[in-house]
Amino acid sequence: MSNNSVNILDIKNIEVMYDNVILALHDVSLKVPKGKVVALLGANGAGKSTTLKAVSTMLASERGKVTKGSIDYDGNSIEKQNPSQMVGLGMVQVLEGRRCFGHLTVEENIISGAYSRKLSKGDIDQELEKIYTYFLRLKERRKSQAAFTSGGEQQMIAVARAMMAKPKMLLLDEPTMGLAPQLVAEIFNIVKELNQKEGVSILLAEQNTNIALKNSDYGYIIETGKVMLEGTAQSLLNNDKVKELYLGISKKGRKNFRDVLKEESLNKKIN
Amino acid sequence: MANELLFFMEVLVGGLLAGTMYSLVALGFVLIFKASATFNFSQGAMVFFSVLAFCGFMQDFNIPFVLAFILAALLMVVVGLCTERLVLRPLMNASEDTVLMATIGLGYVLEGLAQAAWGVEVRRLDLGIGDFPVPWIADNLKLFISALDITAGLVAAIMIIGLFLLFKYTKIGLGLRAVADDAGAASSIGIPLKHIMLLVWSAAGVVALVAGCMWGARAGVQFALVDLALKALPVLIIGGFSSIPGAIIGGLIIGAVEKILEVYIGPFFGGAIEGWAPYVLAIFFLLYRPEGLFGEKIIRRV
Repeated sequence: MSNNSVNILDIKNIEVMYDNVILALHDVSLKVPKGKVVALLGANGAGKSTTLKAVSTMLASERGKVTKGSIDYDGNSIEKQNPSQMVGLGMVQVLEGRRCFGHLTVEENIISGAYSRKLSKGDIDQELEKIYTYFLRLKERRKSQAAFTSGGEQQMIAVARAMMAKPKMLLLDEPTMGLAPQLVAEIFNIVKELNQKEGVSILLAEQNTNIALKNSDYGYIIETGKVMLEGTAQSLLNNDKVKELYLGISKKGRKNFRDVLKEESLNKKIN
Repeated sequence: MANELLFFMEVLVGGLLAGTMYSLVALGFVLIFKASATFNFSQGAMVFFSVLAFCGFMQDFNIPFVLAFILAALLMVVVGLCTERLVLRPLMNASEDTVLMATIGLGYVLEGLAQAAWGVEVRRLDLGIGDFPVPWIADNLKLFISALDITAGLVAAIMIIGLFLLFKYTKIGLGLRAVADDAGAASSIGIPLKHIMLLVWSAAGVVALVAGCMWGARAGVQFALVDLALKALPVLIIGGFSSIPGAIIGGLIIGAVEKILEVYIGPFFGGAIEGWAPYVLAIFFLLYRPEGLFGEKIIRRV
């Protein structure tokens, strides 16, 4: 079922608990407009992954539960769904840490993404060729075992695998974690391209604030399970607080780690 | 000299063929280890349960052989279904150790159910294949090899080829290998875990039935089958817990080695070493090659 509203995803005031005691999200609301890229930013443990897992309904397998609020995807509540049903509805999550099937070949990994779709062998080959146009590097390595490919290639496998499910919406959890700057740019180029050419809406959790905002339309910043700040990507990039806290730039100019240490020792002396 | 060589050949071939019977049991363990990453202690009970039901259908209800076999296979699918629903699904987020303990419990339940339903006496299972030397081979090659052993070898070969094709070339096989690698990631791209579990446990049940028929025809259908199935443990240690070819080759190695040791070294220990020799071999493997001959190496990128 599809709807005519502008938002493909609408999260309203959700609270998430793990094991019935650990409160991971206090109050998170966010919207992803159809066909847009939305960045979810924050430090380790802020609740980015939890938010994504609440949306893909993968929380249940980690003893987590949405205890308050609502999540609507494509106009319908996701409350009663399970992960494979969500994939069937066109919502696919790319998990943190890539999680390729190490013993399968690159190509088998990608094909496994089509598991939920009823495709003939010919259809699969056709889809595969289309996917390879975005991930040229993977085509060269199609026969290698996934565990022996590089980190960047594994991230590409994970995204390609998700694309094979023909998603309307992708949830990307820290796709650039541990990658060299050049690869980070390459991954983001692919994500951007998928968004524009395939019309996939994207919710992107990232710690790399700068590049994430440069490649998004809108951004949310969460801290300890709460949305602290939201706005268009451009407004967040120009926001002084964001600059200072997340981009390492202060009004006085670029702040580096040594300056911070100096400042801290100065403060100590004063105290 | 020629006679000694002939005798050695006979021991070796007999051992290899007897080994395929171990392989058949080990196959069931491998299937479940691949999907659930756990050693299924109830596999022995599944062997006993399935073949006792098969005998029961034939002998108590006079159901013809083929139909009884199909019924027993269907029964094992039902057992797989119940196991998935009642044991595995509630334990979905539990650790592998918890699942391991659950399989021990499941084993006792199956043993009890089987005996409650079909009684405790030893039953004869006649497959129409005698456990005596094939005359043609005895005449022409001068080797005394049991027809039952040859049948077991053929059945094992057919099953391994079938399972290999299933894993390598079908969609469900790909799904199964994906789940074996990373169940969480598999579920994130829409592979339904419960279908895969159901399939694997049912397949393991049918494999148990086939293994049970072979063993039952040789040793009688009795409670001892449960412990016999644990002979698969050294087979798996040698072959590798996650490898189907490993189960087959491990079985062959165990079969051949235990017979050769029994015949040539056994007399020095007062005989009957085939009961424990495989475990000694297994210990050496655990020390020097813990993943087994064909087990998937733990791949770590550096």
